[in-house]
Amino acid sequence: MSLTSSTVENEGWVEAVDTYIDNGWTDGLPVIPPTVEAVEAMLAAGGMDGTEVLGEIPTRDLVVNAEKVAINSVMAGCLPEYFPVVVAAVRAHLQPLANAHSTTATLAGAAHAVVVNGPIRSEIGVECGQACLGPGFRANATIGRAHRLVVRNVFRTVPGVLDRASFSWPLRYSFCFGENEEHSEWTPLHVLEGYAPGDDVVTLMSVMRYLVATEFEPEPEAILETIADRARIDGLLVDDFVGDARGVMVVLGPEHQRRLVDGGWTKETMREALWERMDAPTAGKHDNRVHLASPENVLIVCAGGPGLAQSNLLIPHLAAPTHERVVRP
Amino acid sequence: MTIVTLDPTTPAPGDTAAFSMAPRPVSLEGQTLGIVANGLGRSELMFDALAEQLVKWDDLAGSVKVVKPSVAVPPWPDQWQQITDGATVAVTGFGGCGSCSTRSMRDALDLEAAGIPAVCIVHEALVPAVQALCRLLGAADYPFVTIGYPLNPTAMWDEDEAAAVAALVVDGVRERLTR
Repeated sequence: MSLTSSTVENEGWVEAVDTYIDNGWTDGLPVIPPTVEAVEAMLAAGGMDGTEVLGEIPTRDLVVNAEKVAINSVMAGCLPEYFPVVVAAVRAHLQPLANAHSTTATLAGAAHAVVVNGPIRSEIGVECGQACLGPGFRANATIGRAHRLVVRNVFRTVPGVLDRASFSWPLRYSFCFGENEEHSEWTPLHVLEGYAPGDDVVTLMSVMRYLVATEFEPEPEAILETIADRARIDGLLVDDFVGDARGVMVVLGPEHQRRLVDGGWTKETMREALWERMDAPTAGKHDNRVHLASPENVLIVCAGGPGLAQSNLLIPHLAAPTHERVVRP
Repeated sequence: MTIVTLDPTTPAPGDTAAFSMAPRPVSLEGQTLGIVANGLGRSELMFDALAEQLVKWDDLAGSVKVVKPSVAVPPWPDQWQQITDGATVAVTGFGGCGSCSTRSMRDALDLEAAGIPAVCIVHEALVPAVQALCRLLGAADYPFVTIGYPLNPTAMWDEDEAAAVAALVVDGVRERLTR
């Protein structure tokens, strides 16, 4: 396997890490120096040649190849077996409706959630339960970080240069989690999107706002009302480019899920109810229409741990949620 | 011990690409102004006022305007056709947000490549972004027109402010669209 990237020589790992930070090639944290051997192992785990093209960002004339994604995956600390998931996330981001230029250069500083479905979650240890949105899990932390390093180094979105985020936010260090498919009989996200239950699928969701919906009342209707009303505080405007594909994501916590399962609700009936309430006409300064084309544009993902009666809403930037099957070698 | 590692960045396409500007007319008299608006804030008002001023003072023949489907994407193909069929010179913008400023700069560079002299109007807050995009695409010295504070970058202007912005940029637009 021949790699084409320029090489960098340093005396030892510490100097190499400092060089990568000094060159502006990291997120500010130390990285694993990407040796030829480590990058080749990453590519081999994906069954890929370094020249394989994953997609393009037309506004920037950038072509993204597997070698650069592998280098950044090593830097992020990924194990080789994570690489097919990183590749799927990058491919999802390079789909036209993911609007890669817009969602990475914006003043609003959109983040991206990498959501994993399918058997690969348990095989590589993508956490879906307690504290899954936070630190502590290598697969979550490094897959999400690899995606962000790709955004920085391969998409060339450097803060203060092409990345114009006024504030940016911590979700941009890393944001990856899995769906807890086993917690109920509900249909997993990827199956609702048309994939087979045994498929491994990444959903990439741009995140302009992360909203918390806490509801301690046990009635399912109250829970759904609170989730929908939380989304309506700012609402969601129409965007002609993304059109009918724009969606919001509800990360439904297990306490809420338990109440809804007991009440006989399914994802299919929940999204009908959520859509009807979210998409209702604007009624005030803090009660704004969430413009969504259909109930299918409310994506429901089950994740998180027991305890707090909370769910979370991911509200998009100018992009649609996109899906990519994880291709194993 | 020497450790050899790999560069994680994608090379800038501009390192190998050649860029040249479209030939400029001597004046704007008789020219048709294409307006590739990104719809940011109320910047359309500014473009309309700019076209009015150029018709009045420069004997511009008229204008053709498209508003893109989102702030940071290319025009739809039919919009692009409308501009390239109807315009002989063009303005793009308004470059007042991160992704829209750079995309509008790209629109201007695409127009140049199509043989239509163009200029992008950018807020000073976004100058580093558009310069970075120009460098990335091999057009490091490509000129543009800027406005600055106290005008807000995101073009939340009323009609009077929009007309004032048009008056501020009209000389720069004329200068960059003519030889």
